[in-house]
Amino acid sequence: MALLEIRSLGKYFGGLAAVRDLDLDVFNLEILGLIGPNGAGKTTLFNLVTGFHSPSSGTVIFKGEDITSLRPDQIARKGIGRTFQASTLFMQRTVFDNVFFGSHKHYRQPEWKALLHTPAVRKEESAIKQRVMEILEFMGLASLKDKLAGNLPHGYQRALGLCIALATEPELLLLDEPVTGMNPTETSALLELIRKIRDRGITIVVVEHNMGVVMSLCDRLAVLNYGQKIAEGAPEEVKENKQVIEAYLGKGSSR
Amino acid sequence: MKLLTEGKSKLALLGSVAVILIVFPLLVAGKPFTINICILAGISIILGMTFSMLFSAGLISLGCAAFYAIGAYASALLTMKLGLNFWLALPLAIIITGAVALAIGSMLVRNPGFSFVVLTLLFALVVAEVVGQLGFFGGWGGIIDIPRPDPIGPIEFSSNISYYYLLLFLLALVVTVFYALYTSRVGRAWRAIKLSASLAQTLGINAYRYRLLAFVVASSAAGLAGSFYAHYYQTVIPSTFSGWVSIYIQLYAVLGGLEFYILGPAVGAVIMTFAPEFLRVIKEFEPLIMGALLLAIILFFPGGILGTLQKLPRFSLASISARMKRIAKGVFTRDNLTK
Repeated sequence: MALLEIRSLGKYFGGLAAVRDLDLDVFNLEILGLIGPNGAGKTTLFNLVTGFHSPSSGTVIFKGEDITSLRPDQIARKGIGRTFQASTLFMQRTVFDNVFFGSHKHYRQPEWKALLHTPAVRKEESAIKQRVMEILEFMGLASLKDKLAGNLPHGYQRALGLCIALATEPELLLLDEPVTGMNPTETSALLELIRKIRDRGITIVVVEHNMGVVMSLCDRLAVLNYGQKIAEGAPEEVKENKQVIEAYLGKGSSR
Repeated sequence: MKLLTEGKSKLALLGSVAVILIVFPLLVAGKPFTINICILAGISIILGMTFSMLFSAGLISLGCAAFYAIGAYASALLTMKLGLNFWLALPLAIIITGAVALAIGSMLVRNPGFSFVVLTLLFALVVAEVVGQLGFFGGWGGIIDIPRPDPIGPIEFSSNISYYYLLLFLLALVVTVFYALYTSRVGRAWRAIKLSASLAQTLGINAYRYRLLAFVVASSAAGLAGSFYAHYYQTVIPSTFSGWVSIYIQLYAVLGGLEFYILGPAVGAVIMTFAPEFLRVIKEFEPLIMGALLLAIILFFPGGILGTLQKLPRFSLASISARMKRIAKGVFTRDNLTK
Protein backbone atom coordinates (compact mmCIF):
# COMPACT_ATOMS: atom_id res chain seq x y z
CA MET A 1 0.00 0.00 0.00
CA ALA A 2 1.26 3.42 -0.89
CA LEU A 3 1.91 5.99 1.84
CA LEU A 4 -0.09 8.64 0.02
CA GLU A 5 -2.83 7.76 -2.47
CA ILE A 6 -4.33 10.49 -4.59
CA ARG A 7 -7.47 9.35 -6.43
CA SER A 8 -9.16 11.25 -9.30
CA LEU A 9 -8.35 14.54 -7.61
CA GLY A 10 -9.66 17.73 -9.24
CA LYS A 11 -9.53 21.41 -8.45
CA TYR A 12 -11.34 24.02 -10.52
CA PHE A 13 -10.90 27.75 -10.09
CA GLY A 14 -13.99 29.00 -11.87
CA GLY A 15 -13.80 27.25 -15.25
CA LEU A 16 -10.07 26.67 -15.04
CA ALA A 17 -8.93 23.20 -14.12
CA ALA A 18 -5.76 23.59 -12.07
CA VAL A 19 -5.72 19.87 -11.31
CA ARG A 20 -7.81 17.41 -13.27
CA ASP A 21 -8.65 13.78 -12.55
CA LEU A 22 -5.27 13.10 -11.01
CA ASP A 23 -4.16 9.71 -9.70
CA LEU A 24 -0.82 9.50 -7.96
CA ASP A 25 0.81 7.17 -5.44
CA VAL A 26 3.72 8.10 -3.20
CA PHE A 27 5.55 5.08 -1.84
CA ASN A 28 7.28 4.71 1.47
CA LEU A 29 10.80 6.17 1.68
CA GLU A 30 11.07 7.28 -1.92
CA ILE A 31 12.01 10.70 -3.23
CA LEU A 32 9.37 11.50 -5.81
CA GLY A 33 9.97 14.42 -8.16
CA LEU A 34 6.98 16.37 -9.38
CA ILE A 35 7.81 18.22 -12.56
CA GLY A 36 6.01 20.05 -15.30
CA PRO A 37 5.86 23.46 -17.00
CA ASN A 38 4.82 26.55 -15.07
CA GLY A 39 1.13 26.46 -14.22
CA ALA A 40 0.93 22.69 -14.54
CA GLY A 41 -0.71 22.44 -11.11
CA LYS A 42 2.20 21.29 -8.98
CA THR A 43 1.83 23.83 -6.18
CA THR A 44 -1.95 23.49 -6.34
CA LEU A 45 -1.50 19.77 -5.78
CA PHE A 46 0.58 20.49 -2.66
CA ASN A 47 -2.09 22.88 -1.43
CA LEU A 48 -4.75 20.23 -1.98
CA VAL A 49 -2.82 17.53 -0.13
CA THR A 50 -2.02 19.82 2.82
CA GLY A 51 -5.57 21.18 3.14
CA PHE A 52 -4.95 24.77 2.04
CA HIS A 53 -7.33 24.23 -0.88
CA SER A 54 -10.34 21.97 -0.68
CA PRO A 55 -10.58 19.75 -3.76
CA SER A 56 -13.51 20.02 -6.17
CA SER A 57 -13.48 16.24 -6.56
CA GLY A 58 -11.53 13.16 -5.60
CA THR A 59 -9.86 11.93 -2.44
CA VAL A 60 -6.50 12.08 -0.69
CA ILE A 61 -5.63 9.05 1.43
CA PHE A 62 -2.67 9.11 3.82
CA LYS A 63 -1.65 5.86 5.55
CA GLY A 64 -5.02 4.37 4.60
CA GLU A 65 -6.97 7.25 6.13
CA ASP A 66 -9.06 9.74 4.16
CA ILE A 67 -7.69 13.22 4.87
CA THR A 68 -9.46 15.03 2.02
CA SER A 69 -11.60 17.38 4.09
CA LEU A 70 -9.23 18.07 6.98
CA ARG A 71 -7.82 21.49 7.90
CA PRO A 72 -4.09 22.25 7.35
CA ASP A 73 -3.26 21.98 11.06
CA GLN A 74 -5.04 18.60 11.30
CA ILE A 75 -3.16 17.27 8.28
CA ALA A 76 0.10 18.51 9.79
CA ARG A 77 -0.71 16.51 12.92
CA LYS A 78 -1.33 13.39 10.80
CA GLY A 79 2.31 13.59 9.68
CA ILE A 80 2.52 15.57 6.45
CA GLY A 81 5.00 18.45 6.52
CA ARG A 82 5.69 20.99 3.81
CA THR A 83 7.84 23.91 2.84
CA PHE A 84 6.70 26.85 0.77
CA GLN A 85 7.95 28.12 -2.58
CA ALA A 86 9.20 31.45 -1.26
CA SER A 87 11.19 31.44 1.96
CA THR A 88 8.27 31.37 4.35
CA LEU A 89 9.81 31.69 7.80
CA PHE A 90 9.15 33.60 11.00
CA MET A 91 11.51 36.30 9.76
CA GLN A 92 11.62 38.51 12.86
CA ARG A 93 12.47 35.60 15.17
CA THR A 94 15.71 33.77 15.80
CA VAL A 95 16.64 30.55 14.03
CA PHE A 96 16.09 28.70 17.31
CA ASP A 97 12.62 30.20 17.82
CA ASN A 98 11.63 29.26 14.28
CA VAL A 99 12.24 25.59 14.95
CA PHE A 100 10.85 25.90 18.50
CA PHE A 101 7.58 27.27 17.08
CA GLY A 102 7.71 24.39 14.62
CA SER A 103 7.58 21.90 17.49
CA HIS A 104 4.09 22.95 18.54
CA LYS A 105 2.43 19.62 17.84
CA HIS A 106 4.63 17.73 20.31
CA TYR A 107 3.11 19.31 23.42
CA ARG A 108 1.24 16.64 25.38
CA GLN A 109 0.60 18.48 28.65
CA PRO A 110 -2.81 20.17 28.76
CA GLU A 111 -2.91 23.87 28.00
CA TRP A 112 -4.10 25.03 31.43
CA LYS A 113 -1.11 23.33 32.99
CA ALA A 114 1.11 25.10 30.47
CA LEU A 115 -0.17 28.42 31.84
CA LEU A 116 0.86 27.41 35.36
CA HIS A 117 4.34 26.39 34.15
CA THR A 118 4.18 23.21 36.23
CA PRO A 119 7.35 21.08 36.54
CA ALA A 120 5.96 18.57 34.04
CA VAL A 121 5.40 21.37 31.53
CA ARG A 122 8.88 22.76 32.04
CA LYS A 123 10.34 19.29 31.62
CA GLU A 124 8.42 18.84 28.39
CA GLU A 125 9.55 22.23 27.11
CA SER A 126 13.19 21.55 27.83
CA ALA A 127 12.93 18.17 26.08
CA ILE A 128 11.45 19.96 23.06
CA LYS A 129 14.19 22.60 23.15
CA GLN A 130 16.75 19.81 23.18
CA ARG A 131 15.14 18.30 20.09
CA VAL A 132 15.25 21.71 18.41
CA MET A 133 19.00 21.79 18.96
CA GLU A 134 19.33 18.25 17.60
CA ILE A 135 17.54 19.27 14.42
CA LEU A 136 19.68 22.39 14.04
CA GLU A 137 22.81 20.31 14.51
CA PHE A 138 21.62 17.69 12.04
CA MET A 139 21.00 20.40 9.46
CA GLY A 140 24.22 22.29 10.25
CA LEU A 141 22.52 25.46 11.52
CA ALA A 142 23.34 25.12 15.24
CA SER A 143 25.94 27.89 15.19
CA LEU A 144 23.37 30.31 13.77
CA LYS A 145 20.69 29.62 16.36
CA ASP A 146 20.59 33.18 17.76
CA LYS A 147 20.57 34.93 14.38
CA LEU A 148 17.35 36.43 13.10
CA ALA A 149 15.86 34.30 10.33
CA GLY A 150 15.35 37.40 8.18
CA ASN A 151 19.09 38.18 8.29
CA LEU A 152 20.25 34.76 7.02
CA PRO A 153 21.63 34.27 3.50
CA HIS A 154 19.12 32.74 1.12
CA GLY A 155 20.60 29.26 1.20
CA TYR A 156 20.43 29.10 4.98
CA GLN A 157 16.86 30.37 4.92
CA ARG A 158 15.83 27.46 2.73
CA ALA A 159 17.64 25.06 5.04
CA LEU A 160 15.86 26.65 8.00
CA GLY A 161 12.55 26.10 6.20
CA LEU A 162 13.47 22.41 6.10
CA CYS A 163 14.36 22.47 9.82
CA ILE A 164 10.96 23.90 10.70
CA ALA A 165 9.22 21.22 8.65
CA LEU A 166 11.38 18.54 10.28
CA ALA A 167 10.43 19.82 13.74
CA THR A 168 6.91 18.50 13.14
CA GLU A 169 8.44 15.02 12.65
CA PRO A 170 6.58 14.34 9.42
CA GLU A 171 6.41 10.97 7.72
CA LEU A 172 5.85 12.67 4.39
CA LEU A 173 7.56 15.91 3.49
CA LEU A 174 6.49 18.06 0.54
CA LEU A 175 9.20 20.43 -0.73
CA ASP A 176 8.20 23.23 -3.08
CA GLU A 177 11.18 24.29 -5.21
CA PRO A 178 13.77 23.87 -2.45
CA VAL A 179 16.84 25.00 -4.43
CA THR A 180 15.40 28.00 -6.32
CA GLY A 181 17.77 30.95 -6.29
CA MET A 182 20.69 28.96 -4.93
CA ASN A 183 24.20 28.83 -6.34
CA PRO A 184 25.64 25.40 -7.27
CA THR A 185 27.50 24.99 -3.96
CA GLU A 186 24.40 25.79 -1.91
CA THR A 187 22.35 23.52 -4.16
CA SER A 188 24.55 20.47 -3.73
CA ALA A 189 24.71 21.08 0.04
CA LEU A 190 20.93 21.19 0.24
CA LEU A 191 20.52 18.08 -1.91
CA GLU A 192 22.83 16.27 0.48
CA LEU A 193 20.58 17.38 3.36
CA ILE A 194 17.45 16.19 1.57
CA ARG A 195 19.02 12.75 1.07
CA LYS A 196 19.99 12.70 4.74
CA ILE A 197 16.41 13.51 5.68
CA ARG A 198 15.15 10.60 3.59
CA ASP A 199 17.69 8.33 5.26
CA ARG A 200 16.10 9.28 8.57
CA GLY A 201 12.95 7.57 7.33
CA ILE A 202 11.01 10.44 5.80
CA THR A 203 9.33 10.10 2.42
CA ILE A 204 9.82 13.13 0.19
CA VAL A 205 7.92 14.70 -2.69
CA VAL A 206 9.76 17.53 -4.35
CA VAL A 207 8.58 20.07 -6.91
CA GLU A 208 11.55 21.35 -8.85
CA HIS A 209 12.31 23.03 -12.16
CA ASN A 210 16.03 22.38 -12.23
CA MET A 211 16.29 19.19 -14.31
CA GLY A 212 19.83 18.42 -13.17
CA VAL A 213 18.64 18.45 -9.58
CA VAL A 214 15.59 16.33 -10.32
CA MET A 215 17.57 13.72 -12.22
CA SER A 216 20.22 13.32 -9.54
CA LEU A 217 17.91 13.48 -6.52
CA CYS A 218 14.73 11.62 -7.37
CA ASP A 219 14.01 7.90 -7.42
CA ARG A 220 10.89 8.43 -9.48
CA LEU A 221 9.29 11.26 -11.42
CA ALA A 222 5.71 12.27 -12.12
CA VAL A 223 5.09 14.83 -14.85
CA LEU A 224 2.13 17.19 -14.76
CA ASN A 225 0.83 19.28 -17.63
CA TYR A 226 -2.37 21.33 -17.56
CA GLY A 227 -3.31 19.73 -14.26
CA GLN A 228 -3.03 16.18 -15.57
CA LYS A 229 -0.40 13.53 -15.08
CA ILE A 230 1.18 12.81 -18.46
CA ALA A 231 4.00 10.51 -17.39
CA GLU A 232 5.40 8.67 -14.41
CA GLY A 233 8.43 6.48 -13.87
CA ALA A 234 12.19 6.34 -13.37
CA PRO A 235 14.02 9.59 -14.32
CA GLU A 236 15.73 7.94 -17.31
CA GLU A 237 12.43 6.70 -18.77
CA VAL A 238 10.64 9.97 -18.24
CA LYS A 239 13.42 11.92 -19.88
CA GLU A 240 12.87 9.94 -23.11
CA ASN A 241 9.08 10.17 -22.96
CA LYS A 242 7.69 11.80 -26.11
CA GLN A 243 4.78 13.52 -24.39
CA VAL A 244 7.08 15.02 -21.76
CA ILE A 245 9.43 16.47 -24.32
CA GLU A 246 6.46 17.95 -26.14
CA ALA A 247 5.08 19.47 -22.98
CA TYR A 248 8.38 21.17 -22.23
CA LEU A 249 9.57 22.13 -25.67
CA GLY A 250 6.43 22.10 -27.81
CA LYS A 251 5.23 19.76 -30.57
CA GLY A 252 7.70 18.78 -33.24
CA SER A 253 10.64 18.88 -30.86
CA SER A 254 10.64 15.16 -30.18
CA ARG A 255 13.06 13.15 -32.16
CA MET B 1 10.68 41.62 24.21
CA LYS B 2 14.17 41.69 25.67
CA LEU B 3 13.10 43.97 28.49
CA LEU B 4 10.69 41.27 29.51
CA THR B 5 12.95 38.28 29.19
CA GLU B 6 16.00 39.08 31.29
CA GLY B 7 15.37 36.98 34.36
CA LYS B 8 16.86 38.63 37.42
CA SER B 9 16.69 42.25 36.32
CA LYS B 10 13.06 41.60 35.41
CA LEU B 11 12.27 40.52 38.96
CA ALA B 12 14.08 43.54 40.37
CA LEU B 13 12.15 45.84 38.07
CA LEU B 14 8.85 44.18 38.94
CA GLY B 15 9.57 44.46 42.67
CA SER B 16 10.48 48.11 42.55
CA VAL B 17 7.47 48.98 40.36
CA ALA B 18 5.20 47.13 42.80
CA VAL B 19 6.66 48.99 45.81
CA ILE B 20 6.29 52.36 44.08
CA LEU B 21 2.69 51.60 43.11
CA ILE B 22 1.79 50.47 46.63
CA VAL B 23 3.46 53.41 48.38
CA PHE B 24 2.39 56.03 45.86
CA PRO B 25 -1.08 56.90 47.27
CA LEU B 26 0.48 57.60 50.68
CA LEU B 27 2.68 60.24 49.09
CA VAL B 28 -0.19 62.02 47.40
CA ALA B 29 -2.82 61.24 50.03
CA GLY B 30 -4.02 64.81 50.12
CA LYS B 31 -4.70 64.91 46.39
CA PRO B 32 -7.69 62.77 45.43
CA PHE B 33 -7.46 64.30 41.98
CA THR B 34 -4.06 62.70 41.37
CA ILE B 35 -5.33 59.34 42.62
CA ASN B 36 -8.24 59.65 40.21
CA ILE B 37 -5.85 60.16 37.29
CA CYS B 38 -3.91 57.10 38.43
CA ILE B 39 -7.07 55.02 38.47
CA LEU B 40 -7.94 56.24 34.97
CA ALA B 41 -4.44 55.29 33.85
CA GLY B 42 -4.87 51.83 35.39
CA ILE B 43 -8.09 51.21 33.48
CA SER B 44 -6.40 52.42 30.30
CA ILE B 45 -3.48 50.05 30.87
CA ILE B 46 -5.83 47.05 31.03
CA LEU B 47 -7.64 48.22 27.90
CA GLY B 48 -4.37 48.81 26.05
CA MET B 49 -3.22 45.32 27.01
CA THR B 50 -6.34 43.83 25.44
CA PHE B 51 -5.45 45.48 22.13
CA SER B 52 -1.89 44.17 22.45
CA MET B 53 -3.05 40.64 23.14
CA LEU B 54 -5.08 40.61 19.95
CA PHE B 55 -2.15 42.17 18.11
CA SER B 56 0.13 39.43 19.40
CA ALA B 57 -2.12 36.93 17.63
CA GLY B 58 -2.11 38.94 14.41
CA LEU B 59 -5.48 40.60 14.93
CA ILE B 60 -6.03 44.36 14.80
CA SER B 61 -9.20 45.21 16.67
CA LEU B 62 -10.87 48.59 16.78
CA GLY B 63 -13.62 47.15 18.95
CA CYS B 64 -11.96 46.84 22.35
CA ALA B 65 -14.27 49.57 23.69
CA ALA B 66 -17.31 47.42 22.89
CA PHE B 67 -16.31 44.80 25.45
CA TYR B 68 -15.36 47.50 27.92
CA ALA B 69 -18.95 48.75 27.50
CA ILE B 70 -20.46 45.28 27.78
CA GLY B 71 -18.59 44.64 31.03
CA ALA B 72 -19.65 48.01 32.44
CA TYR B 73 -23.32 47.64 31.49
CA ALA B 74 -23.52 43.99 32.54
CA SER B 75 -22.10 44.82 35.94
CA ALA B 76 -24.31 47.90 36.34
CA LEU B 77 -27.47 46.01 35.42
CA LEU B 78 -26.62 42.98 37.57
CA THR B 79 -26.31 45.20 40.64
CA MET B 80 -29.16 47.58 39.82
CA LYS B 81 -31.78 45.16 38.50
CA LEU B 82 -30.89 41.92 40.27
CA GLY B 83 -29.52 43.47 43.43
CA LEU B 84 -26.26 41.53 43.30
CA ASN B 85 -23.26 43.05 45.02
CA PHE B 86 -20.12 44.08 43.13
CA TRP B 87 -18.08 41.07 44.21
CA LEU B 88 -20.54 38.78 42.45
CA ALA B 89 -21.27 41.14 39.57
CA LEU B 90 -17.58 41.50 38.66
CA PRO B 91 -16.93 37.81 37.83
CA LEU B 92 -20.35 37.51 36.20
CA ALA B 93 -19.66 40.57 34.05
CA ILE B 94 -16.35 39.03 32.99
CA ILE B 95 -18.13 35.78 32.06
CA ILE B 96 -20.89 37.60 30.17
CA THR B 97 -18.36 39.66 28.24
CA GLY B 98 -16.39 36.51 27.46
CA ALA B 99 -19.55 34.76 26.22
CA VAL B 100 -20.44 37.66 23.92
CA ALA B 101 -16.84 37.69 22.67
CA LEU B 102 -17.05 33.96 21.97
CA ALA B 103 -20.25 34.40 19.94
CA ILE B 104 -19.02 37.45 17.99
CA GLY B 105 -15.44 36.24 17.72
CA SER B 106 -16.34 32.85 16.29
CA MET B 107 -17.70 34.73 13.28
CA LEU B 108 -15.17 37.57 13.01
CA VAL B 109 -11.94 35.68 13.64
CA ARG B 110 -12.39 33.53 10.53
CA ASN B 111 -11.28 36.41 8.31
CA PRO B 112 -8.53 38.10 10.28
CA GLY B 113 -7.56 40.73 7.71
CA PHE B 114 -9.09 44.04 6.79
CA SER B 115 -12.65 42.84 7.32
CA PHE B 116 -11.83 42.07 10.94
CA VAL B 117 -10.64 45.64 11.53
CA VAL B 118 -13.78 47.11 10.01
CA LEU B 119 -16.21 44.69 11.63
CA THR B 120 -14.78 45.15 15.12
CA LEU B 121 -15.08 48.92 14.77
CA LEU B 122 -18.61 48.49 13.49
CA PHE B 123 -19.43 46.24 16.44
CA ALA B 124 -18.18 48.92 18.86
CA LEU B 125 -20.36 51.54 17.18
CA VAL B 126 -23.39 49.23 17.25
CA VAL B 127 -22.94 48.46 20.97
CA ALA B 128 -22.76 52.18 21.84
CA GLU B 129 -25.84 52.82 19.69
CA VAL B 130 -27.85 49.93 21.14
CA VAL B 131 -27.30 50.88 24.78
CA GLY B 132 -28.17 54.47 23.89
CA GLN B 133 -31.39 53.62 22.03
CA LEU B 134 -32.87 51.07 24.41
CA GLY B 135 -34.51 52.17 27.63
CA PHE B 136 -33.53 48.90 29.30
CA PHE B 137 -29.91 50.08 29.20
CA GLY B 138 -30.78 53.53 30.48
CA GLY B 139 -30.84 55.24 27.08
CA TRP B 140 -28.54 58.11 26.20
CA GLY B 141 -28.77 59.39 29.76
CA GLY B 142 -27.11 56.17 30.96
CA ILE B 143 -27.42 54.47 34.33
CA ILE B 144 -26.72 56.45 37.49
CA ASP B 145 -26.35 55.61 41.17
CA ILE B 146 -24.60 52.30 40.57
CA PRO B 147 -23.70 50.99 44.04
CA ARG B 148 -20.14 50.99 45.34
CA PRO B 149 -18.57 47.62 46.18
CA ASP B 150 -19.68 46.26 49.58
CA PRO B 151 -17.02 46.67 52.24
CA ILE B 152 -14.77 43.65 52.72
CA GLY B 153 -13.89 43.51 56.42
CA PRO B 154 -12.54 46.86 57.46
CA ILE B 155 -12.00 48.04 53.86
CA GLU B 156 -14.75 50.40 52.76
CA PHE B 157 -14.99 51.79 49.28
CA SER B 158 -15.72 55.34 50.24
CA SER B 159 -12.45 56.93 49.15
CA ASN B 160 -10.42 56.96 45.98
CA ILE B 161 -7.58 55.22 47.75
CA SER B 162 -9.49 52.00 48.36
CA TYR B 163 -10.50 51.97 44.70
CA TYR B 164 -6.87 52.54 43.78
CA TYR B 165 -5.80 49.43 45.64
CA LEU B 166 -8.69 47.41 44.23
CA LEU B 167 -7.65 48.41 40.73
CA LEU B 168 -4.03 47.65 41.52
CA PHE B 169 -5.08 44.16 42.54
CA LEU B 170 -7.17 43.66 39.39
CA LEU B 171 -4.33 44.99 37.24
CA ALA B 172 -1.88 42.59 38.88
CA LEU B 173 -4.34 39.76 38.20
CA VAL B 174 -4.68 40.65 34.52
CA VAL B 175 -0.93 41.10 34.10
CA THR B 176 -0.30 37.71 35.72
CA VAL B 177 -2.77 35.90 33.49
CA PHE B 178 -1.52 37.66 30.36
CA TYR B 179 2.10 37.02 31.28
CA ALA B 180 1.37 33.33 31.86
CA LEU B 181 -0.26 33.15 28.42
CA TYR B 182 2.55 35.00 26.62
CA THR B 183 5.28 32.84 28.14
CA SER B 184 3.48 29.55 27.48
CA ARG B 185 3.01 27.68 24.24
CA VAL B 186 -0.19 29.68 23.72
CA GLY B 187 1.87 32.86 23.38
CA ARG B 188 4.28 31.10 21.04
CA ALA B 189 1.40 29.90 18.89
CA TRP B 190 0.02 33.46 18.76
CA ARG B 191 3.38 34.84 17.65
CA ALA B 192 3.73 32.13 15.03
CA ILE B 193 0.24 32.87 13.67
CA LYS B 194 0.95 36.60 13.62
CA LEU B 195 4.20 36.19 11.69
CA SER B 196 2.87 33.67 9.17
CA ALA B 197 -0.53 32.07 9.60
CA SER B 198 -0.04 29.58 6.76
CA LEU B 199 3.33 28.41 8.05
CA ALA B 200 1.87 28.12 11.56
CA GLN B 201 -0.90 25.89 10.21
CA THR B 202 1.55 23.53 8.54
CA LEU B 203 3.08 23.12 12.01
CA GLY B 204 -0.20 21.80 13.39
CA ILE B 205 -1.33 25.08 14.96
CA ASN B 206 -5.07 25.65 14.71
CA ALA B 207 -4.98 29.35 13.84
CA TYR B 208 -8.73 29.83 14.20
CA ARG B 209 -8.90 28.35 17.68
CA TYR B 210 -5.90 30.31 18.98
CA ARG B 211 -7.16 33.58 17.54
CA LEU B 212 -10.54 32.97 19.11
CA LEU B 213 -8.85 32.27 22.44
CA ALA B 214 -7.03 35.61 22.24
CA PHE B 215 -10.27 37.36 21.36
CA VAL B 216 -12.18 35.86 24.28
CA VAL B 217 -9.42 36.38 26.88
CA ALA B 218 -8.72 39.97 25.78
CA SER B 219 -12.42 40.84 25.68
CA SER B 220 -12.99 39.35 29.13
CA ALA B 221 -10.22 41.56 30.49
CA ALA B 222 -11.87 44.58 28.87
CA GLY B 223 -15.10 43.46 30.57
CA LEU B 224 -13.29 43.41 33.90
CA ALA B 225 -12.10 46.97 33.32
CA GLY B 226 -15.65 47.98 32.41
CA SER B 227 -17.12 46.45 35.54
CA PHE B 228 -14.61 48.28 37.74
CA TYR B 229 -15.28 51.52 35.86
CA ALA B 230 -19.05 51.27 36.40
CA HIS B 231 -18.73 50.89 40.16
CA TYR B 232 -16.00 53.49 40.45
CA TYR B 233 -17.80 56.30 38.63
CA GLN B 234 -21.17 54.85 39.69
CA THR B 235 -22.43 55.99 36.30
CA VAL B 236 -22.33 54.53 32.80
CA ILE B 237 -23.32 56.56 29.76
CA PRO B 238 -23.07 55.45 26.13
CA SER B 239 -20.77 58.30 25.08
CA THR B 240 -18.04 56.92 27.38
CA PHE B 241 -17.76 53.94 25.03
CA SER B 242 -17.82 55.69 21.65
CA GLY B 243 -15.67 54.57 18.74
CA TRP B 244 -13.01 57.09 19.79
CA VAL B 245 -12.28 55.07 22.89
CA SER B 246 -11.18 52.16 20.72
CA ILE B 247 -8.85 54.47 18.81
CA TYR B 248 -7.34 55.67 22.09
CA ILE B 249 -6.93 52.11 23.32
CA GLN B 250 -4.99 51.32 20.19
CA LEU B 251 -2.81 54.40 20.68
CA TYR B 252 -1.75 53.27 24.16
CA ALA B 253 -0.29 50.13 22.65
CA VAL B 254 1.26 51.86 19.63
CA LEU B 255 2.80 54.68 21.66
CA GLY B 256 4.36 52.36 24.22
CA GLY B 257 5.59 49.89 21.63
CA LEU B 258 3.59 47.23 19.82
CA GLU B 259 6.16 44.51 20.38
CA PHE B 260 5.93 44.95 24.17
CA TYR B 261 2.65 43.27 24.92
CA ILE B 262 2.49 44.20 28.61
CA LEU B 263 4.93 47.06 29.21
CA GLY B 264 3.99 48.83 25.96
CA PRO B 265 0.35 49.57 26.84
CA ALA B 266 1.44 50.42 30.40
CA VAL B 267 3.90 53.07 29.27
CA GLY B 268 1.56 54.36 26.55
CA ALA B 269 -1.50 54.57 28.79
CA VAL B 270 0.35 56.31 31.62
CA ILE B 271 1.78 58.92 29.26
CA MET B 272 -1.50 59.48 27.45
CA THR B 273 -3.42 59.84 30.71
CA PHE B 274 -0.97 62.16 32.46
CA ALA B 275 0.23 64.27 29.53
CA PRO B 276 -3.09 66.08 29.00
CA GLU B 277 -3.07 67.04 32.68
CA PHE B 278 0.29 68.73 32.27
CA LEU B 279 -0.96 70.50 29.19
CA ARG B 280 -4.00 71.86 31.02
CA VAL B 281 -2.67 75.42 31.09
CA ILE B 282 -3.15 75.60 27.36
CA LYS B 283 -6.32 73.60 27.42
CA GLU B 284 -7.76 74.43 24.02
CA PHE B 285 -4.55 73.38 22.30
CA GLU B 286 -4.18 70.13 24.22
CA PRO B 287 -5.76 67.80 21.63
CA LEU B 288 -3.73 69.51 18.90
CA ILE B 289 -0.43 69.07 20.74
CA MET B 290 -1.24 65.49 21.74
CA GLY B 291 -2.22 64.67 18.17
CA ALA B 292 0.94 66.18 16.69
CA LEU B 293 3.07 64.40 19.28
CA LEU B 294 1.48 61.04 18.56
CA LEU B 295 1.76 61.50 14.82
CA ALA B 296 5.45 62.34 15.18
CA ILE B 297 6.11 59.31 17.36
CA ILE B 298 4.31 56.91 15.05
CA LEU B 299 6.03 58.36 11.97
CA PHE B 300 9.56 58.62 13.30
CA PHE B 301 9.63 55.95 16.00
CA PRO B 302 7.46 53.13 14.67
CA GLY B 303 8.75 50.85 17.44
CA GLY B 304 7.03 53.07 20.01
CA ILE B 305 8.76 54.42 23.11
CA LEU B 306 10.03 51.07 24.38
CA GLY B 307 11.05 49.88 20.93
CA THR B 308 13.12 53.02 20.47
CA LEU B 309 14.68 52.82 23.93
CA GLN B 310 15.59 49.20 23.39
CA LYS B 311 17.68 50.11 20.38
CA LEU B 312 19.81 52.36 22.56
CA PRO B 313 22.28 49.90 24.10
CA ARG B 314 22.53 51.91 27.33
CA PHE B 315 18.92 51.26 28.11
CA SER B 316 18.85 47.49 28.22
CA LEU B 317 18.08 46.33 31.72
CA ALA B 318 21.02 43.93 31.78
CA SER B 319 23.51 46.67 31.04
CA ILE B 320 21.97 48.94 33.68
CA SER B 321 22.13 46.26 36.36
CA ALA B 322 25.69 45.35 35.28
CA ARG B 323 26.72 48.97 35.67
CA MET B 324 25.08 49.15 39.10
CA LYS B 325 27.02 46.08 40.17
CA ARG B 326 30.26 47.58 38.94
CA ILE B 327 29.58 50.76 40.88
CA ALA B 328 28.68 48.79 44.00
CA LYS B 329 31.85 46.71 43.66
CA GLY B 330 33.92 49.85 43.30
CA VAL B 331 32.44 51.32 46.43
CA PHE B 332 32.85 48.26 48.61
CA THR B 333 36.27 46.98 47.57
CA ARG B 334 38.74 46.80 50.44
CA ASP B 335 40.83 49.65 49.02
CA ASN B 336 37.94 52.01 49.28
CA LEU B 337 36.97 50.83 52.73
CA THR B 338 40.44 51.27 54.20
CA LYS B 339 40.98 54.69 52.72
